[in-house]
Amino acid sequence: MKNIGYFLREAGKIIRYNSVSNIFSFLGTGLILFLLGLVVAVWGISSQLVVLLQQEAEISAYFDKLPENPEDIINSIKSIDGVWNVSYVGAEEARSRMENILGDESHILDLFEKNPFEPYLEIRIHLDKIDPVLQSIRNIKGIDYVRDNREVLEQIKGISRALEILGYLVIAAVSITTLVIISHMIRQGIYHNREQIKTLRLLGAPDRFIGFPFVLVGFLLTFGGGLLASALITVLINRGYAQLGGAMPFIPLPPKDRLLLGIVTLLLSGSAALGILGSLFGLSSINKENQG
Amino acid sequence: MIKARNVSLVYRDGTVALDDVNLDLHAGGLYYVIGPSGSGKTSLMKLLIGIEFPTTGFLEVMGQPMRKRETAKIRKLRRDIGPVFQEFKLISGRTAIENVIMGMRFLDIPMNKAKELAKNALVRVGLEHKAFTLVDRLSYGEAQRVAIARAVARRPALILADEPTGNLDHDNAVKIFRLLESFKDRNTTVLITTHATHLIGGCNADALLCVEKGKISIERRGGRT
Repeated sequence: MKNIGYFLREAGKIIRYNSVSNIFSFLGTGLILFLLGLVVAVWGISSQLVVLLQQEAEISAYFDKLPENPEDIINSIKSIDGVWNVSYVGAEEARSRMENILGDESHILDLFEKNPFEPYLEIRIHLDKIDPVLQSIRNIKGIDYVRDNREVLEQIKGISRALEILGYLVIAAVSITTLVIISHMIRQGIYHNREQIKTLRLLGAPDRFIGFPFVLVGFLLTFGGGLLASALITVLINRGYAQLGGAMPFIPLPPKDRLLLGIVTLLLSGSAALGILGSLFGLSSINKENQG
Repeated sequence: MIKARNVSLVYRDGTVALDDVNLDLHAGGLYYVIGPSGSGKTSLMKLLIGIEFPTTGFLEVMGQPMRKRETAKIRKLRRDIGPVFQEFKLISGRTAIENVIMGMRFLDIPMNKAKELAKNALVRVGLEHKAFTLVDRLSYGEAQRVAIARAVARRPALILADEPTGNLDHDNAVKIFRLLESFKDRNTTVLITTHATHLIGGCNADALLCVEKGKISIERRGGRT
């Protein structure tokens, strides 16, 4: 602890010595981390969307003939594992829903002499259990046909998976880029201070004493970048929520504060860890170049 | 303090820097290592501080065998050595007192005590008035004295001074020698290399180590070798 002031002064000196490169490293790291934050934000929102859509996963079951007592069939379906809600949609309600969907074009329904819609069951299920649920429903007496919307659901799952993979790729790219930038900056700092490092070694200074200011530099540069990225992403998410919430209220966004807290925590802790790790990589060159 | 048995140092290009050296130097002694330029004086100093390692033979400094595979222990050993380098190796952009304190920052010395020791060392080398001057602005002789202050401030067991009078004029060179000699006591061994043998006439060394083409012969003075 007695050297903390010295370490901070040394770190400041190392940063000032190569100020232009360090400023660009700081900005570059900040923007890279901002991109990471952006991808994580999209990932978070899309995951929320997928979860909600999966919760909303819905199939329709049609009767072979209008049952006298649909409650029996409804209860049979409700008892199937993977089904969490069943509701009866009468012919009139089915027509009314279609009118809502068609909007101004709903008058075409008037061309039919009588209501073309049949009553059906609207069944909400857990998506991961779709196959056994479908099989069970098809086996129920009184059910003629089941429409499963599987293609749409599979597409949503596919998009979610692609975003997840993209997220991992971006995390890997950001990590590698940040590590390379920081370790390169540290190596430059070591090169500029090589005489001082040699002298300290000859005086018996331990490597941790010599290396700590460099670790501090790496930490400060990337953590600074993390702060910059956090500030940018906070502004962006605040504006995005304000606009999306107004223009597209049907998009199920996750709670803003929770999303922001998660992203900022990730950016700050990730930047700190990457800074220290990058410095340690950079410092490994000290051992190769300055033995003695 | 220093024990050498049949030590030789041969550089990669085949140059034999030291050849079959045998030494027994005791704690608290003052030793001059003399000889013409290129005779092997600096090579001996490099061996003693662990920059080079014996090609053959056995060397021990303060009980620490000087072997390449023991570099971590040798780094610790250096904390008990006060080196004065030919080219000073002061850290530029720092004041004289910062340079002296630098040699103590990583030791178990509280900062207040380190500052006090540094100040005392600068007083002892006659540079207290330059304590807060950047070393880059000091004269050659002043920089040399700061290097000596840095070496002695942390109260090492062994002072190794390699050609400390370098390009100094006669009077200043004698002053530096007397200054270094003054640090010799029961606990501190002082080893000084020089090719300026005419300057050490009146010295009170325990022995002169005469280096000639890598061979070392010992000329006793104080009878303690």
